[in-house]
Amino acid sequence: HFAEDTSDLLQHVKFQSSNFENILTWDSRPESGPDTVYSVQYKTYGETEWQAKEGCQRITRKSCNLTMETGNLTDFYYARVTAIDVGGRSATKMTDRFSSLQHTIIKPPDVTCIPKVRSIQMIVHPTYTPIHTGNGHRLTLEDIFQDLFYHLDLHINHTYQMHLGGKQREFEFFGLTPDTEFLGTIVSLVPTWSKKSIPYMYRAKTLPDQTWT
Amino acid sequence: GQEFQFGPCQVEGVVLQELWEAFQAMKDIVQAQDNITSVQLLRKEVLQNVSEAESCYLIHALLEFYLNTVFKNYHHKAVEFRILKSFSTLANNFIVIMSKLQPSQEKEMFSVRESARRRFLLFQRAFKQLDREAAVTKAFGEVDILLTWMENFYQ
Repeated sequence: HFAEDTSDLLQHVKFQSSNFENILTWDSRPESGPDTVYSVQYKTYGETEWQAKEGCQRITRKSCNLTMETGNLTDFYYARVTAIDVGGRSATKMTDRFSSLQHTIIKPPDVTCIPKVRSIQMIVHPTYTPIHTGNGHRLTLEDIFQDLFYHLDLHINHTYQMHLGGKQREFEFFGLTPDTEFLGTIVSLVPTWSKKSIPYMYRAKTLPDQTWT
Repeated sequence: GQEFQFGPCQVEGVVLQELWEAFQAMKDIVQAQDNITSVQLLRKEVLQNVSEAESCYLIHALLEFYLNTVFKNYHHKAVEFRILKSFSTLANNFIVIMSKLQPSQEKEMFSVRESARRRFLLFQRAFKQLDREAAVTKAFGEVDILLTWMENFYQ
């Protein structure tokens, strides 16, 4: 009796995590049919029991938000998906061991840009995550990653750039030409976890110089 | 530069990020070999709430075990999976850390030493309850848990 090939039902079961929002995603091949239903279970590494994820039982979409269920930063997790098609064929696949600290990628920082006559001020806002402490306090990326810092570039012209960096939230590029447009980027970096955010790209124009010369 | 400070034990000259990069390069291959998802060797009772004073004794015991038992018995697999370079980077760095740890043997530290020993024995007992090869594979796959804990002492 040959085992039925059900590899078309389920592929690439994995966590996709950004700023500690942990989404389980999966794929199936086209031939698996549109009416296949999927059920998700998860567990903490080291525990025996699998837990059914409420809201992701017998669904037809191919993603499930497991942020709340995988929110302990020092724990490791597994998730698995079971697919069942209309013909009753089924397949189950499990993720790799998941740690949000290791796997999460960092989104671009949230920034306010304040152009002045001869300078541009940049204010980086704290990035809140879905992670809460015991007393309900919501953690920011800076709370979680103690060595997180920002790196800012300002392109003056083709050959010349200005750079600023540090753990503070306020930065200012000085000595700029009034009434001139500049392009720049800001990234968040976490050295110990070798994490670097997608850059926040910005365009800013210094104000005209209204003073009488 | 940065250094480890396990209570009174100071370790310089080791870059934690390099250990992370070495392990990340083999993590998926190694952890995929461990299909016992219901057992975690380095569990909370072993590593959580370790005092500064205990930390030197515990890291010394863990690294000694990893070098003498886990790495020694995983070497042939590292060759098989072609991860010898990363494997060696990790092993060599563990050797350097071990060589610089000088846990105090003074009498007054007996209770602290015992507390660290009880934690280590929890880990070792769980290790011994598994089939030998499965235990070595699992322990090696849990190096990221060990590195995450070591990070608390990296300044």
